[in-house]
Amino acid sequence: MKKILFLLVLTLVSLPTWAKVNVITTTSDLAALVTEIGVDKVSVTSLTKGTRDPHYAQAKPSMIRKVFRADLLVVIGAEMEVGWLPALLRSSRNSKVSPGNTGYLDVSEFIELKGQISVPVTRDMGDVHAAGNPHYWLDPANGILMAKAITERLAKLDANHTQFYQDNFNKFKDKLARKILQWKADLQHFNGQKIIAYHTSLLYLAGAFNFDVRGYVEPKPGLSPSASHLNQLIKTIKAESIRYLLMEPYYETRSAQLLKRKSEINYIVIPQSVGAKANIKTYFDLFDEIVSALKAVEK
Amino acid sequence: MKLRQSLTLSLLIGISINSAVCIAQPTSMNLQQNKNPMDIGISALFATGAASKGNSTITNLQGGGHDPSKIGFTLQNLELTLGGAVDPFFDAQTNIIMLLDDEGEAILEIEEAYLLTKKLPAGLQIKAGQFYTEFGRQNKLHPHSWAFVDQPIVLSRLLGGDGLRSQGARVSWLSPLPWYAEIFVGIQNAKGATGNSFLSAGHGHDDHADEGAEEETKEYPINGSEDFLYSARWLNGFDFSESVSANLGFSGVWGPNANGIEAEKDLRTAIYGVDLYLKWQAEKSSRGFPFVSWHSEYLYRNYEEIEEDVFTRKDSGWFSQFSYGFKPGWVAGLRLEMADSNEEDEHAINGDERFRTALNLTWLPTEFSKIRLQYNYDDADHVGEAVHLLWLQFEYNLGSHAAHVF
Repeated sequence: MKKILFLLVLTLVSLPTWAKVNVITTTSDLAALVTEIGVDKVSVTSLTKGTRDPHYAQAKPSMIRKVFRADLLVVIGAEMEVGWLPALLRSSRNSKVSPGNTGYLDVSEFIELKGQISVPVTRDMGDVHAAGNPHYWLDPANGILMAKAITERLAKLDANHTQFYQDNFNKFKDKLARKILQWKADLQHFNGQKIIAYHTSLLYLAGAFNFDVRGYVEPKPGLSPSASHLNQLIKTIKAESIRYLLMEPYYETRSAQLLKRKSEINYIVIPQSVGAKANIKTYFDLFDEIVSALKAVEK
Repeated sequence: MKLRQSLTLSLLIGISINSAVCIAQPTSMNLQQNKNPMDIGISALFATGAASKGNSTITNLQGGGHDPSKIGFTLQNLELTLGGAVDPFFDAQTNIIMLLDDEGEAILEIEEAYLLTKKLPAGLQIKAGQFYTEFGRQNKLHPHSWAFVDQPIVLSRLLGGDGLRSQGARVSWLSPLPWYAEIFVGIQNAKGATGNSFLSAGHGHDDHADEGAEEETKEYPINGSEDFLYSARWLNGFDFSESVSANLGFSGVWGPNANGIEAEKDLRTAIYGVDLYLKWQAEKSSRGFPFVSWHSEYLYRNYEEIEEDVFTRKDSGWFSQFSYGFKPGWVAGLRLEMADSNEEDEHAINGDERFRTALNLTWLPTEFSKIRLQYNYDDADHVGEAVHLLWLQFEYNLGSHAAHVF
């Protein structure tokens, strides 16, 4: 009896949300952008949390249920979700949100991707995506393009609120443009700074703030660092007097500590996504945190 | 038959070479991949082993059709996977397996080949073709996704060395319950090599108790709906937290078996199972590590046989396995398992009391390759003494990206 009551209450509680556009995103950054545009006209859930590498997510059963009920599925694309989204889509049996339909938005189609490879890709190159590097949300200028794609798709699915979405987009765009100037001013001294990155994922961040990436901790994208590669890297760091190593919070810090001991490089943990730290709730918070992490070591 | 096999083989190899060329070409200018009309991949699984007893013993111990089962080298599984969207209405998946038998002859199997609907209403989905019966968690896993080099004993015994799979159809329904709950109901042919416990024609490593049935199955008359295999599964999924998720499933499969043909009696088999899978993945994980998973299944079979009278043989068994991904690319595993039967003949290869422990260490340099070392301690009544086995397994994957299964 209690259970039945609970179910009833649950149904009633969830009724009003049916009127909203039910948006599912593959990452927390996309969810944050959908929230900026859709505000209270949408309900948003991200399938993955910002504390993990979204490339290695797994199609959990609870995700099947979420995608089954979605009106719109927003994905990073460029093979970011290649390991788990196809299987999830097959199990979710929601043709509205399968590729090629209005309910499926691959945001990478609206972005000029870095790292597109013009020679035939082989897996000897490591975890390289032929379509280009999928970590494009880390360039705040791309945030505008991403939000625009989301705005247009929401307007298509929910035409009654087109003006609402458009207004929110304009507000978001203006604020982000202002913030970008501020972030760039804050990181002025990083302009042209030589850095080492852990993985190729920081390519866009480096592009946005003009860091000069001189090497990677991973010998090839997705491969664990070997001793010989680290030794080589130490030589590079010393020869070029590189002062900073940037890495995401989910990577092991042993290699970074080793590099620090042997070359006195500083390593800076960069939150790479909304939700990577509990206080990063919006797309603006993300870059505020990145900027303050970088400023903190600069003395 | 041999000729046809080798023809098909060369055809398959031809296809895979051509498609490999096709994949390599369009990368120069495309912004988006996934422009190939289908995903093509090949996965190869090899093993080499040593044991404290000779081949005549370990061939019987390693009951799975894709288990390494001899001292020396084994090609366990060479699997060609072709899949993708057929059209707006159907997805499809085809897995063709090749392996080499003891004589080095190639064996070809259609592991799975099925259509999956995309547009049915109300959370319904139909799968039709040749496919693994929805029974438990392990039965559906292809050998390259196993956490150990070999199949759990109870599955080899009750569901068969190649897993329980056949031609048919199944409907699944994603329920509107507030947690993930899916119900699968299937009907498949009970006859065929991979219908162990039912109208199997006998394939792989046979239980001598089934030898009588082997000859007779070809004559088993299919008269109507009672001669098919019916299956039902209720699968639940729970997220206890962001890091801990679980699956709990209940399965049953029912159908005729061939033991009563001579006596013109309709004898039946029923198998029941419960499976639990629990996984923890660290809040901050890189490449999916670190993680701990625990996968356990219990199976029970009522298997009607005839001697002077109809006699119900009751078999059961369980396995429980832990995997600990302690750092990116490294997994340690422990599996405990038992199987038993009310079969009185303690020398029955598939009916004796048996206990096995396996320990392994797996290194995954990338998502596309794997090296695994495994030790088995195997205590089977029919052998009379414990057997020690050591396996080294190697896997490579070419082509389409393997799925990250939960």
